[in-house]
Amino acid sequence: MHTTKEKRRNYRPLVSNKALQQTMGSYYALTSWHRYWGKFLRRPLAWVTSGAPVELLRAFNIHCAYPEQYAAIYSARKATVDLCEVAEAAGYSQDLCSYARSNIGGVLRPDLAPLGGMPKPDLLVACNNICGTVLKWYEVLARHFNVPLLVLDTPFLTDQLTPQVKDFVLEQLYAMAADLEEITGRRFNEKKLAEQMNLSRKITSLWIETRQYCQASPSPLNAPDLFINMAPIVVLRGSQKGIDFYRKLKDEVKERVELTQGAIENERIRLVWDNIAIWPQLFSFYKMFSEKGACFVTDTYSGGWAVEQAPGTPMESMATTYTEVFLNRSPKFRANQLINLIKEYRADGFVMHSNRSCKPYSLVQEVIRKEVMRETGVPGLMIEADMADPRAYAEEPVRNRVQAFLETFDDLK
Amino acid sequence: MVETFNPTDSKESLKLLIEEASLKGADRLNRYPKYRFFGYFCSYFPEELIIAAGLHPLRLLPDSENSTPVELPAYCCSLARGTLDMEVREKWRDLVGIGFTHTCDTMQCLSGIWAASGQSKTVDIVPPVMLKAPGASRYYHAELHTLLSKLTDLTKQKIEAEAIRNALILCANTRKLAAELDVLRPNLPSPLIFSLLRAGQLMPRSEYTHALVNSFPALKEMAEEPHNKAKVLVSSAVLENDSLFEMIEELGGRVVADDTCTGFRHFSGVTVSGSEDPLLDIVRRYSEMPPCPCKNRSLNERISYLTTLAKQRHAQGAIIIVRKYCEPHAWDAATLSESLRKNGIRTLTLELEGANAGGQERTRLQAFLESLLGYEL
Repeated sequence: MHTTKEKRRNYRPLVSNKALQQTMGSYYALTSWHRYWGKFLRRPLAWVTSGAPVELLRAFNIHCAYPEQYAAIYSARKATVDLCEVAEAAGYSQDLCSYARSNIGGVLRPDLAPLGGMPKPDLLVACNNICGTVLKWYEVLARHFNVPLLVLDTPFLTDQLTPQVKDFVLEQLYAMAADLEEITGRRFNEKKLAEQMNLSRKITSLWIETRQYCQASPSPLNAPDLFINMAPIVVLRGSQKGIDFYRKLKDEVKERVELTQGAIENERIRLVWDNIAIWPQLFSFYKMFSEKGACFVTDTYSGGWAVEQAPGTPMESMATTYTEVFLNRSPKFRANQLINLIKEYRADGFVMHSNRSCKPYSLVQEVIRKEVMRETGVPGLMIEADMADPRAYAEEPVRNRVQAFLETFDDLK
Repeated sequence: MVETFNPTDSKESLKLLIEEASLKGADRLNRYPKYRFFGYFCSYFPEELIIAAGLHPLRLLPDSENSTPVELPAYCCSLARGTLDMEVREKWRDLVGIGFTHTCDTMQCLSGIWAASGQSKTVDIVPPVMLKAPGASRYYHAELHTLLSKLTDLTKQKIEAEAIRNALILCANTRKLAAELDVLRPNLPSPLIFSLLRAGQLMPRSEYTHALVNSFPALKEMAEEPHNKAKVLVSSAVLENDSLFEMIEELGGRVVADDTCTGFRHFSGVTVSGSEDPLLDIVRRYSEMPPCPCKNRSLNERISYLTTLAKQRHAQGAIIIVRKYCEPHAWDAATLSESLRKNGIRTLTLELEGANAGGQERTRLQAFLESLLGYEL
């Protein structure tokens, strides 16, 4: 039964949120106190990009922390503007990625950062499968901390993965393993990597299964649920704790479907979301939709972690899986991906967040929007904002566009 | 081709080069009616293969910095917006194809957008970003093979190894001449040198080298004795006109080192030759040229290279241009500025919407250049 407060919010909170808080709370505590246990247990701390081959790092007992994820927290806790201003004063343009700027701000002024900022890394690992920005961002960090920077160069796929690309990535992965042997003093153990890949496969399967329940009407989850619950698959991929959490989440979502319980009341319009969340407006933005009975039943962003591992040896599988991530693919691939989501989830429309901070995600969206509308016949709305920097969010124009878009569905149901 | 575009007189040759730089390829159909041009965006697209395919490389530059094609959001650089808008207006209709190199995220996206919404045929090459990564050369070589096949499909003509070798020789010669021009830089007006180098990315290369060789006597005649201008290094992405260099010159500055995409960086580095497989020579050329911020040879190589270059040329100051929404250059600006300052070279970071420098930039440039001259005294 809903409480009055919940009714006003028009969404159904997940019981597993508590398990999420515990899982993530324990991860952040462990990360924050790394300096007390890392050396003792010979477990270096790596700052890694969200698309880095983390299974390889875990096979070397490396503890991973994600600047992108911390940046999302900074934003949700309204610290981004202050942190970005620190980075901007240090010479980093306001047009650069707000995750990167707020991270650099947190490095320069940890006192302004939630969670006390990130603990100092022993090494940095970047993979350019998500953007070119990560290379420049991590170069800045490598100079600042004077620690090793390992980069996995995954060439952009204009079409399909070619043997030459796969060979190149594979060769780099073996070289990265050799570098990690030197950094950690541990030998590369392919069996241990296979174990990590296996754990990763399990967590991914659970995330895929959970998401697929949203094909039901009403959808058991809405976009904010997806965004919040993706945290463990990003930071705890390849861990038993992550698997335990996603089992709980999946069970709850399954139960919701069995009980025909929707994430929002009176689901009337089913939408697909494209791009990173608008973290500073996470609830207020999506409330504009939910109060009109519009639910985001799936999205491309958190779906980026719902991809099965490619076949082959552990190293081969990583080479293919990490190169084929959707942000490293052509607009044609991405349009097809969105078209399939609209069909599979029986969506009535889609909303694209034109995200000033993420060019690879956003610059191609208009071309994709037209293609998807042509192929599916459903309307698509484009909204300009920023994933973390609230200064790039103009509430009134956004509200007007959303209202006009939702009115087009008035005759639908 | 009409005779007037192949002058032998030194001053006429110089005039031709300046005209070509100013036209940015707009008059190519009248000037070179029998030539087939192939458009490209970035210095990392191997011109050698375009030439070997019997085509003429034309660097695509925007005719306006205020274009807003619907396919791109406003927070995208004016180079991408302007050139795509020209595609929509069918300004590139005659080109045999357009080549994209994966350098920055914007170019990567533009390639897909162009293929989806333009009329021109597009060809991609994705060079390694980490140029010294294990396997990078082998991968680059394989990518060049793929590019060769794509160009062969486009022209329906086999590209012989001999044609590639000849193209390597032509490009090596062009780069050698550009280096000679760079030597004259301290004694010649900065916009003139910048203009002459830009012409070399727009004109058919044989005509360009011919005209440049012919223009050297006139250039040497124009060269001034050592001057008391403020010596500066300029680092920037693409600049499609001479506006900034004119302003620097007008305000008492002289560009002694040019690290711009459309300036000397395009020609800098060596051309190697002699390998049995000429594609290996191309791999070496593009892997070893002074890197742009999109590429990484090692953590600090670009910063060290530019700092050393500024010192070698006795630059008193450095002007770091960040073209609005050009992320790779914006990222390097802070580190580059810090490195230069630590080495006693003053810096000014200027953000430009396009290539045109306006009133606000003039004020800042004037103050900066005056401070350099005053500092020297």
